[in-house]
Amino acid sequence: MTYRWGCAVLVMLCLAAPLRAQEEAPEEEEPSLKPRLEFGFEAKAHYRDSDLNSFAVPFRFEPNMLPRGQSQGFEETVNAGSHLEISTFTLLVDATWGDGLAAHGKIDFIDLYDRNPTSSDGKTDVDEAWVRFGIEPAPATLAPRGGAYLKIGKMPKLERQDDRHLESYGLVSTAFNRFEDTGAELGLNLGRHVYVKATATQGNPVFLRDPNALAGDNGTPAMRQPFPDPELKSGIVILYDAEVEDLDVDGELELGGGVGVRFADEGGVNGVDFLAWGYRRNLAETVELEGTFYGGDLDLLNGPGNATPFPALRGDEKREAGANVWIYFGGLSFFGQFVDQEIAGLPRTGLEAEVAWRFELPLWLSIGDRQLFTFVAPAARYSELDNDFRNHLNTPAPSLAWDWKKLDAGLRVGIIPGADLTVEYADHEFILGNGAKRDNNELLTTFRWRV
Amino acid sequence: MRRLVPVLILLLAVPVAAEELRGRLQLVGKGGKGPARGSDVRQALVWYEPTAPAPARPPATPFVMTTRGKQFVPRTLTIPVGSRVRFPNEDVILHNVFSVSGENSFDLGLYRRGKGKEQKFDRPGLVRVFCNVHHSMVGYILVLQSPYVATPDAEGRFVLTGLPRGAGRLTVWHEQAEPAGMDVQVPRAEPLAPRLEIVRPRIPPHLNKTGKAYSTRDDYNQR
Repeated sequence: MTYRWGCAVLVMLCLAAPLRAQEEAPEEEEPSLKPRLEFGFEAKAHYRDSDLNSFAVPFRFEPNMLPRGQSQGFEETVNAGSHLEISTFTLLVDATWGDGLAAHGKIDFIDLYDRNPTSSDGKTDVDEAWVRFGIEPAPATLAPRGGAYLKIGKMPKLERQDDRHLESYGLVSTAFNRFEDTGAELGLNLGRHVYVKATATQGNPVFLRDPNALAGDNGTPAMRQPFPDPELKSGIVILYDAEVEDLDVDGELELGGGVGVRFADEGGVNGVDFLAWGYRRNLAETVELEGTFYGGDLDLLNGPGNATPFPALRGDEKREAGANVWIYFGGLSFFGQFVDQEIAGLPRTGLEAEVAWRFELPLWLSIGDRQLFTFVAPAARYSELDNDFRNHLNTPAPSLAWDWKKLDAGLRVGIIPGADLTVEYADHEFILGNGAKRDNNELLTTFRWRV
Repeated sequence: MRRLVPVLILLLAVPVAAEELRGRLQLVGKGGKGPARGSDVRQALVWYEPTAPAPARPPATPFVMTTRGKQFVPRTLTIPVGSRVRFPNEDVILHNVFSVSGENSFDLGLYRRGKGKEQKFDRPGLVRVFCNVHHSMVGYILVLQSPYVATPDAEGRFVLTGLPRGAGRLTVWHEQAEPAGMDVQVPRAEPLAPRLEIVRPRIPPHLNKTGKAYSTRDDYNQR
């Protein structure tokens, strides 16, 4: 069954419940056959200004694989210049039956910035579709009591930061846990403070993408035409864990787990959470991804026609270990993550830290009984990705082995409840194989409207 | 003359209400070390309950606690048992007023600017009042059976006047402290010197009216 069908069934199940349920807020969260339903909608529009950069690649493309008159291939900024874009319409549905049972669906339309991995991917994406039995506390909040939960479906990875303060992603987020995976997650709350999680999932295929807002076009059907010159370029790419696209679990599962400890006040406003986690799986020979004729996993790492494998490529084991910390204190929030990964003998580490401070604004103006300008939240994020391996001499994507650093700084302003504007700048630096430093910066302004 | 007899008996039965209790309240920091910084002693309340309290007499007109500038004004209100409180909304935005304080729980729903809604409080005790929309809005209503209430001055000094002679209990309360009580005998010559240890932030940890955490975090991906 495809995600589209799965989500349709979920929505129909929810609609089958009496409409009256939408207006009722049960005083006690007792288990009931009648679900409490919440529907949501989100839209995002952007002004984006991306620097123009291109880097020659050593791979010798056939002449008819390059634009006319071009004798060398490049890694290029995906879509340089200034652009106004609508990136996403999202539908959200939540159904809860007391505290013990919940279902969640999230469908993206257009899905411009989360294309997986190219512009020829589907424009509709079931981002999340899961059912959960039991209570799963949010990071840095106390569990109401000891207990367990089981979550099944397509869901965020257990270590993902779910409350980013900037629209862009850090290098670590993009490389390791930006996209959802499919499977099951079992959580144990050992009292209110200590918790353990275990996952068995399909595993996100290893692929490549530009870490700025827009993913590049690599392996799109248009590239198979003679002398291709697509509007969207390849991007300057890193290895990343791409989104799982189907329900097939025909290979080995990725097994993961984490152990954490959290301290928080009863109101869930101030808290600290520390989580150590890890994953392991065997890479597939190839993984088909919609929108590209390149294969994921080992197929990608071996290069076109298996002709340009990374010199250190060994075996098929992919494993990673990491640690997260979340801190909330009043309006201050901090998220930090460190990841140590090895992909079939290719080691790399990532570090990311985001700090933000949300200031609630006093009531100055209003519109339609709602406050105008509700908060401001300056935020800064530093991330780096150290790739401790070398490229094949004739690689078509040298940036895969570069070391990367990214500093994002921005400001989010709450316009009215449910609508905000984020202005941010990404200072993006990488160190080429010859030691030279280059950058690929981007200004991004995002208007988000959520109902 | 026959009509005067019951009145005289009633007057004799009631102790003369002419005594007073004086004292000075001190707010101290956590662990009792030094004065509490940043906490206003004028926001404390001191009240005396005689062992045999007179029945509370709620006024005919309601007390008023207003939502103004995303705050409850006044922040603290003392009322006799059985009184009504009206909650006008003077802000140009929607507010909710609710409490989950035991038998005085209530929820007035979401409403716009206007004269607001009323709630009657039939049980003695502390009622913590919140807005389901704005986490930082906090108010307190002390529902008392006693009319003997005083607010300390900036130095913490307080005077309770018109007290009946006899035994009773003095309670000292501040929103950031655990309340302290002591048995006292009226009249009392020496001034009282209660201390309260400040242990709570000005916005106490609290959940919304459905028992869930306020979404003060930026739910960018989270649902």
